Amino acid sequence: MLPFAVAMTDLTHIRNFSIIAHIDHGKSTLADRILEMTGTVAERDMKEQLLDKMELERERGITIKSQAVRIAYTARDGQTYQLNLIDTPGHVDFTYEVSRSLAACEAAVLLVDATQGVEAQTVANAYLAIDNDLEIIPVLNKIDLPAADVAEAELELHELTGASHEEILLVSAKTGEGVVDVLEAVVGRAPAPSGDPAAPARALIFDSEYDQYRGVIAYVRVVDGHFARRQLIRMMGTGQQAEVEELGFFGPDMKPAERLETGEVGYIITGVKDVAHVRVGDTVTDARRPAGEALPGYKVVRPMVFTGLFPTEGDKFEDLRDALEKLKLNDAALSYEPESSSALGFGFRCGFLGLLHMDIVRERLEREHDLELITTLPNVEFHVYLTDGTLQVVRNPAEMPDAGRIERVEEPFVSASVIVPSDYVGAVMELCQGRRAEFVDMKYLSPHRVEMHYRLPLGEIVLDFFDQLKSKTRGYASLDYEFWGYRESDLVKLEIVLAGQPVDALSLIVPRERAHARGRMLVEKLRQKIPRQLFEVPIQAAIGNRVIARETIKAKRKDVLAKCYGGDITRKRKLLEKQKEGKKRMKQLGVVEVPQEAFLAVLELDAGDQSR
Amino acid sequence: MQPRDAFAGPVRHVYVHVPFCAARCDYCDFYSEVVPLRRAEGGAPEPAKPAASAPLDRFVDAVSTEWELERAAHEVHGVRTLYFGGGTPALLGVGRLERLYQAFAAQLTAHAEVTVETNPDEADEAFAVWAARRDVRISLGVQSFLPRMRAALGRRPAADPSAAVRRLRAAGVRDISVDLIHGIPGQTADDVDHDLAVLADLAPDHVSWYELDVVPGTPLARRHPQVPSDDERAALYRQVVRGLERLGYRWYEVSNFARPGRRARHNVAYWRARPYLGLGPGAVSTVGGRRWRDAADVADYVAALDPSPRDLPSPQDLSSPRDPSSPREPSPPPREVESLGRETLARERLMLAARCGSAVPLADVRPVLDPGAVAPLVAAGLLSLHSGRIRVTRKGRYVGDEVCVRLFRA
Repeated sequence: MLPFAVAMTDLTHIRNFSIIAHIDHGKSTLADRILEMTGTVAERDMKEQLLDKMELERERGITIKSQAVRIAYTARDGQTYQLNLIDTPGHVDFTYEVSRSLAACEAAVLLVDATQGVEAQTVANAYLAIDNDLEIIPVLNKIDLPAADVAEAELELHELTGASHEEILLVSAKTGEGVVDVLEAVVGRAPAPSGDPAAPARALIFDSEYDQYRGVIAYVRVVDGHFARRQLIRMMGTGQQAEVEELGFFGPDMKPAERLETGEVGYIITGVKDVAHVRVGDTVTDARRPAGEALPGYKVVRPMVFTGLFPTEGDKFEDLRDALEKLKLNDAALSYEPESSSALGFGFRCGFLGLLHMDIVRERLEREHDLELITTLPNVEFHVYLTDGTLQVVRNPAEMPDAGRIERVEEPFVSASVIVPSDYVGAVMELCQGRRAEFVDMKYLSPHRVEMHYRLPLGEIVLDFFDQLKSKTRGYASLDYEFWGYRESDLVKLEIVLAGQPVDALSLIVPRERAHARGRMLVEKLRQKIPRQLFEVPIQAAIGNRVIARETIKAKRKDVLAKCYGGDITRKRKLLEKQKEGKKRMKQLGVVEVPQEAFLAVLELDAGDQSR
Repeated sequence: MQPRDAFAGPVRHVYVHVPFCAARCDYCDFYSEVVPLRRAEGGAPEPAKPAASAPLDRFVDAVSTEWELERAAHEVHGVRTLYFGGGTPALLGVGRLERLYQAFAAQLTAHAEVTVETNPDEADEAFAVWAARRDVRISLGVQSFLPRMRAALGRRPAADPSAAVRRLRAAGVRDISVDLIHGIPGQTADDVDHDLAVLADLAPDHVSWYELDVVPGTPLARRHPQVPSDDERAALYRQVVRGLERLGYRWYEVSNFARPGRRARHNVAYWRARPYLGLGPGAVSTVGGRRWRDAADVADYVAALDPSPRDLPSPQDLSSPRDPSSPREPSPPPREVESLGRETLARERLMLAARCGSAVPLADVRPVLDPGAVAPLVAAGLLSLHSGRIRVTRKGRYVGDEVCVRLFRA
């Protein structure tokens, strides 16, 4: 057993740190190397992306969920330190995860790929760390690669953090070169936790996980005092009291312990099943000797992107509700409320941090909960001011009031930063102009790289702005954005009418000047995606009562097997039965059978829109 | 009214699968064995090697034996229709055909329909004379009157199909059906018009005109043929239907057309879901809730039904006890059996009736019917509903599969 698992570690020998980086800059590899070199994980148990436990994370090579792991490190000074490494996601959608993790740390390793340089999330994460008063340890990774431009990347890191040449560490997480220097820097430069072991116990819940057998597992950072097994604790925000059933730390699997001391990072299980009672950001204290004041929590995460999720099979609504509830246990940023669509039946309007988040939730619902889902077009939250002076919040285009009742519509804008090689400045400007973006400023990070700032509608980003940005800059651009504020826009609701019936699930809110083009594109896409039926199906796009585009799907002219004699009957019957089974994947809108792909047609719109 | 079950009641329809062909056609997925032919000048086709005729004889005996066994096993009344399909039954030659016919003769009703399939090549003079004498209905596999179209199907070059029809007529055959295919790679409306013109001239009693079905695994499918597009095939199909109706044929099933009174009664029995027995390797039977298929292997088939070794006949063997390890009583060939539940039977009933546009009492199919599907189909003119019976309309027949799928309850 590791020494500190039994012996109490002196506060001065604890270091809590995270690694923050832009996506793909090698964060998980560095974490793997640290775990391996410190013997935290036996060689035989080592695998890539060890801290990414979710199948999806490993498959996509991304980190979605933070992980905490305790490491015993015997430094060059001969002393053994307890390092708590908190692994964080690198995508803009999960910035909130990073901010939560940072609140549990005193230092952050800011990792930059030497072949790529500083990227948008590097900047965003560096500022997050600075705002949290963390000691920043700048590290250049991938120095073993021929494409590494250490001098240029160093310059950019210096610009960003003010770090000197000596302070910037050079490593190759892949080969292990320089990794020890990172650990030494954590020990030497990061401050020890500053809590009071004698004060009433306080711990910050910086994440939580739900286990179907054990209930909520709270990830905590003990700030003052200590916690022990059987102790009666209280959540200061929710008032929930419970007895500690088990506590311990991650090594990287859960390792039960008797106590969690001041400054330590670990987990607490109380048997509480309802995650709402163990909120991330809340403070845990001793119920019998409570602390006077809670720790500062986090900014409540607000979903920015909304979409309807509907089970393809109507009777799976309850299953979807259960699945969302379970995901929500591990994902505070996910929101959902029941929604009913005349086209798609009962489902949920879900709120996400961004498109990746949405994608991941949808994929997890389908994979881990075996659901088949239809996703409607993602949209933002519109603020609709009505002529009677009231404000209506619209998260679903179908709820958009009639034009006559609307005084004005506001939509969320973000302030976005794009970092790009200077050669691509023109391409980025061109893209942004087409996306109703307002140029703010730009500055050179180095002679070859530019950071550009824009304000643009979030609605543009949730379509395919990022994909377009990547394709127009050959993958060199990186994007980060944060909510800026609401602003008036000239928006209209575009409705799709299928065989005379409006399809709520296909309606969308678009800038007026693009309504015609989008309407034409959408009906054309739908014509391609909806197979011919027994009946002719007219498809129309309309603004209010005005039809702006129309297509027709011709009726099927022939669908019958030529031969059916005594030896064919079974085979032909099975064929028809299979076709019937296949129809379960179709949505019946009046007499029209619409395949799920048709609902995705709206998603593909903008790519085409751009090429016009 | 008690709902009627499909395929229930005594058996009155028998199919015999004769799995021998002179060559395999590229589009065909029926079971058959190739028997190379030699044709004497002006005479009947005979298997090229004398050794090849023994299996044909044993096959005829085996079918007769299976028929004996089946008659004992099922309630068989007078046989109203008997159909020799294939394969190429005419390849058996007149002598064996007569022997096969005699195996059933005693059970045939007075006006039984007996059909024999043949290709133009095998429909020689001797065959025509025999067919006329037995008043047999002939189904002639033409596929197209255009050699170019037959070549596109990978069919061996054949004798002129028109000449075969004339020969059969001249011999006195009263009931002739012609098989044709549309939707052949490269086929145009003009090509179909040509076939229609030949039909107008030959005036067969019945026409089966199928759309080409490119069955995966066939040599044709492996060539990835460029068949006409969906819309083109739909147009060719309508051209076929209209053309034949103009010639006085009635469109009584998806691919079948007859002069008044000349429907293929055997096939109609399938579409009305009557019980039927299928004899021969690969043949399917359906009686009540049971469907089975004889193993599609002529050697296994014959071995089961005719277990005595014939190659070394010895008078002593007949009296002495046989080797107990070898089977000696004839038994049915290996079979694949399928149990048909009531719902399955009801779905088949609906599916088969849709092909002919025959009325089905709602009561018979209610458990498998989606009640909400009826009204929109009626409104679209694809289905009619009168006095508790539904019927797929002519317009609906073109899209009958989809109509059925819609009607089926999920």
